[in-house]
Amino acid sequence: MKRLIAPRIPKGTRDFLPKEMAKRQFVMEKIKSVFISFGYGTIETPALEYAETLLGQYGEEDSKLTYTFKDKGGREIALRYDQTVPFARFVAAHHKTLPMPFKRYQISPVWRADKPGRGRFREFYQCDVDIIGTKSLLAEGEITKVVHRVFESLGFDGFVIKFNSRRLINSVLTLLDIPTRRQCEIIRVLDKLGRIEREGVAQELASLLSEQAIETLLDIITAQGTNEQKIGFLSQYDTKEIEDFLTICDAFGVPRERLVFDLSLARGLDYYTGIVFEAFLENVAIGAVCAGGRYDALCSLFSEEKFSGVGVAFGFDRIMLAMEELNLFHHTKLNSRVLVTYFDESTLKNSLEILNDLQNAGISAEIYFEPEKLGKQLKYSDKKEIPFVVICGPDEIQRGEATIKVMRTGKQKRIPQNQLTSYLNGYTYAGIK
Amino acid sequence: MQASNRTKIAVQKRGRLAEPSLSFLRSLGLRFNLNERNLVTPCENYDIDILHLRDDDIPEYVCRSVVDFGIVGENVLYEKNVHVNVIKKLGFCPCSLVIAVPRGSQIKALEDLEGERIATSYPRLLVHFLEEKGINAAIITIKGSIEVTPTLNLADAICDITETGRTLKEHNLVPLVTVLESQAVLMESSFPRQDKSRFFSL
Repeated sequence: MKRLIAPRIPKGTRDFLPKEMAKRQFVMEKIKSVFISFGYGTIETPALEYAETLLGQYGEEDSKLTYTFKDKGGREIALRYDQTVPFARFVAAHHKTLPMPFKRYQISPVWRADKPGRGRFREFYQCDVDIIGTKSLLAEGEITKVVHRVFESLGFDGFVIKFNSRRLINSVLTLLDIPTRRQCEIIRVLDKLGRIEREGVAQELASLLSEQAIETLLDIITAQGTNEQKIGFLSQYDTKEIEDFLTICDAFGVPRERLVFDLSLARGLDYYTGIVFEAFLENVAIGAVCAGGRYDALCSLFSEEKFSGVGVAFGFDRIMLAMEELNLFHHTKLNSRVLVTYFDESTLKNSLEILNDLQNAGISAEIYFEPEKLGKQLKYSDKKEIPFVVICGPDEIQRGEATIKVMRTGKQKRIPQNQLTSYLNGYTYAGIK
Repeated sequence: MQASNRTKIAVQKRGRLAEPSLSFLRSLGLRFNLNERNLVTPCENYDIDILHLRDDDIPEYVCRSVVDFGIVGENVLYEKNVHVNVIKKLGFCPCSLVIAVPRGSQIKALEDLEGERIATSYPRLLVHFLEEKGINAAIITIKGSIEVTPTLNLADAICDITETGRTLKEHNLVPLVTVLESQAVLMESSFPRQDKSRFFSL
């Protein structure tokens, strides 16, 4: 007997069926349309990069999660781990032909050798927006507005954008007499606040700082209150960037309640230098759904020229899970809107004419491939969740009519054949504005 | 630019609301002489101009602060998706937006509208109404002469304005359900503008 291969896929990867894909496309299109509305263009970079391009850019813990292998020619290759580092490489390679400042969005899969868990996969999509080639805080403001618009347009009521300033944290650490070379290490430990308790963080810091410095530092970092109160509390440090950022966000029309100044936010990655962001959804315990910030020196590894940039990555799969949990998918439609039945040989030509008319009017429609019993054709329509079925037999043809069946109610109605498109376009279920 | 300092009030140029709107303004004590061909009528006793516009343009003009005040029917106002402040319902020009069906139609109750064709010039209000009632129907948007569509087999029901019900009757239509009770309203733009007080003081 022939031995069959089990139709399985690697751990942490997924197959998507059309119904699931409809939802994914819905979310992607929404996100894309926000990016486009701010004038971002898109680019593509290869899934494969030279390992040296990616390794050592993310900090030690993340580098371990980068997939690497030798290609057939013995070259060290890495799979795209995120889109920001390949983007830096891209800018270094193409900056002479790009308009500057350069704004781009990118939506593509990335791979991480992470332990799979809820909302965490080994292959998943990232959606990034970046602005490169300007140091203006307006760029941070625009990115914040983009993040706000994305979650708003997806239908989320409750979400906050937490932000902090890497510069401010450094200024705090410097005033605590912590040398610059240790600051990165300390920031990485501080980033664990929120995930582990204060005592745990204090323990991890014990080998790096004096007990008193740890207490002072943790008091500052965990300060509570409104954005203004926290800024007031930090008056001896460099809070200008934070204040200017808030003023700009205000002018961009980002509602104040969306923005939460959180000093414990330090983004574990090595390349952020200014404002950092993370967005969280209320009512869904899923972690950050969007994260990013200002990076100043990243491109310098690929080019003599330095480019300052700011950008965020959206956690696409987490957003999907959250939308599912909050039931925000009631507006998604599958691709096919109308099934035109295959009544018999004699009426096929007329049915195909109807099909052509519907498609020319911008209504997605398909024909059934066999002249099967009507019941079987309706079953197909049911399984594919096609909302309308058009039936046109000899009797209807003679009167210039067609029968339209609304699958949800089962109600059938005969109307003039030339009114099918206005009927379907006017149907309220079609979502007239 | 002397004109821009004057308060502007928009009223319907021609139609149901035109005459009653002007009477209302006169009742406030405004004195003006109408000239059929002028689109702007200056008041004699106040720094106020009366603008004669198409009624379905008025909400948009008020919303964008092109004019300071406007008088329209609620049916026109709510069909537009604009943000304006309604100051006062004026009590004149009452009418109803109704769904009507041909006499003897199979459609006897609201639920029977499910899946049927309804012709209207008020698609927004109708969609909203149907959504609220949980009914799906095919909305056929037409600019005017809605009453004739059932006879032409373009629609199974209509959704239109009626004052006395006479036009409906003439076309052998009977009202099934009221979507909106409407009357003339006075509205202002939501942007603050100085000099409005001139009008409010009246």
